[in-house]
Amino acid sequence: MTRLDLALLTAIVLVAMGVTSLLLTSDLVRRIVALNVASGGVMMLFLGLAYRADPAAPDPVPHALVLTGIVIMVAVTGLGLGLARRVESVAEQSGDPPPGEADH
Amino acid sequence: MTAAASAFDIFLGGSLLAVAACVLFLPRRATAVVLFLVFGVLLAIVWARLDAPDIALAEAILGGGVTGALLIDAVAVGRRAADERSEGPAGAARWLVPIAGGAAGAVIAVVLAAAVLALDTPGIRLTDDVRDNIATTGVEHPVTAVLLNFRSYDTLLEVAVLAIAAIGVLGLRRDAPAWSDAWTKAAPIAIDGLVRVLTPVIVLLAGWLLVAGTTRPGGAFQAGALAGAGLILLYLGGRTGVIPVGRGLTPALMLGLAGFVGVAFGTALGGDGWLVLDVAWAGSVIIAIEVVVTLSIAAGLAVIFVANREPVDTETAGGGPTDVSGEDAR
Repeated sequence: MTRLDLALLTAIVLVAMGVTSLLLTSDLVRRIVALNVASGGVMMLFLGLAYRADPAAPDPVPHALVLTGIVIMVAVTGLGLGLARRVESVAEQSGDPPPGEADH
Repeated sequence: MTAAASAFDIFLGGSLLAVAACVLFLPRRATAVVLFLVFGVLLAIVWARLDAPDIALAEAILGGGVTGALLIDAVAVGRRAADERSEGPAGAARWLVPIAGGAAGAVIAVVLAAAVLALDTPGIRLTDDVRDNIATTGVEHPVTAVLLNFRSYDTLLEVAVLAIAAIGVLGLRRDAPAWSDAWTKAAPIAIDGLVRVLTPVIVLLAGWLLVAGTTRPGGAFQAGALAGAGLILLYLGGRTGVIPVGRGLTPALMLGLAGFVGVAFGTALGGDGWLVLDVAWAGSVIIAIEVVVTLSIAAGLAVIFVANREPVDTETAGGGPTDVSGEDAR
């Protein structure tokens, strides 16, 4: 197994695990964490494909896309955490069940 | 074609998956978040081994650093929500949930693997296109050339997304009391010393990364991320004045977007088209854009972090900003 195969395999497992956890957890903060793990897998897949094109000089276009994606992911995480906190504080004040259970 | 996986690679990949599994499936929020920091560092190391130093640097600063700070803050301050609330439907359907989730994950893995295997080796190669045309971009580093010349639309929209996210987080805070120093406690002396030592280093490194980006790994993203992390550090060190969220920071937040859009209109009206840079002055314009984008990324990250903080001593029932242990006790 080459380093590339290993990286691609790891990336695929990361995406699958992240999405599975995203589907299974009802805790809003942990959903955001799961999204981050899955996006890390997607980015690694991109980087692996860039490396596969030419290991001596990896393709710069996927690199640029991933770089953009990392900044977007932080922005999404920040906004998501703000929304999650708001949802939890509203649910608490009104005495509703926590948001994880309310959507079932 | 590529190097065989060394024992180190296998160890790294295995650790990455093991840490990710712990992040995702261990019950406590606090555990998940702290392990997510480890995950970010491991991910950066793996990416560096895929010959992607630019990306590894950005991931180490942003994925590990800033996202980690955001998440730790989220679990540490004023979180009353239960960690282990009962999930999903009760009764007979309970055992179906993990099976359905696992099946969905397996399907995703199989489809992705099939897609990767179906791609021709070496796939679409844009490397040659970039190398053949890099002389027209005004910069020497291919990733910077793609980001700020070939695909500058992406970067323009990314700066817009960051600004919108920061404004969104600020909007969520409108119920809160006025922005003030009461939002953070006086820093312990060790943190204060650390901030004093690190701040000049961060300023120097951010400046170097910004300038280095034209010829080697580095650039506006990494510099902006590092500067944003530096602002957050200063804020946590008790110097809350560095992030004047109310007034001074909104212009800084919009500066990169405004500058970028200005260049777009300038080239559309007086040049060859939207964001088409002439090689004669492309280098200078790219540096100018990078400077304003760096400032805006730093401001955006700092605003997102500060606006996500709970006010200390107001609505929180207990626990200081660094009181992670309180979470475990609950």
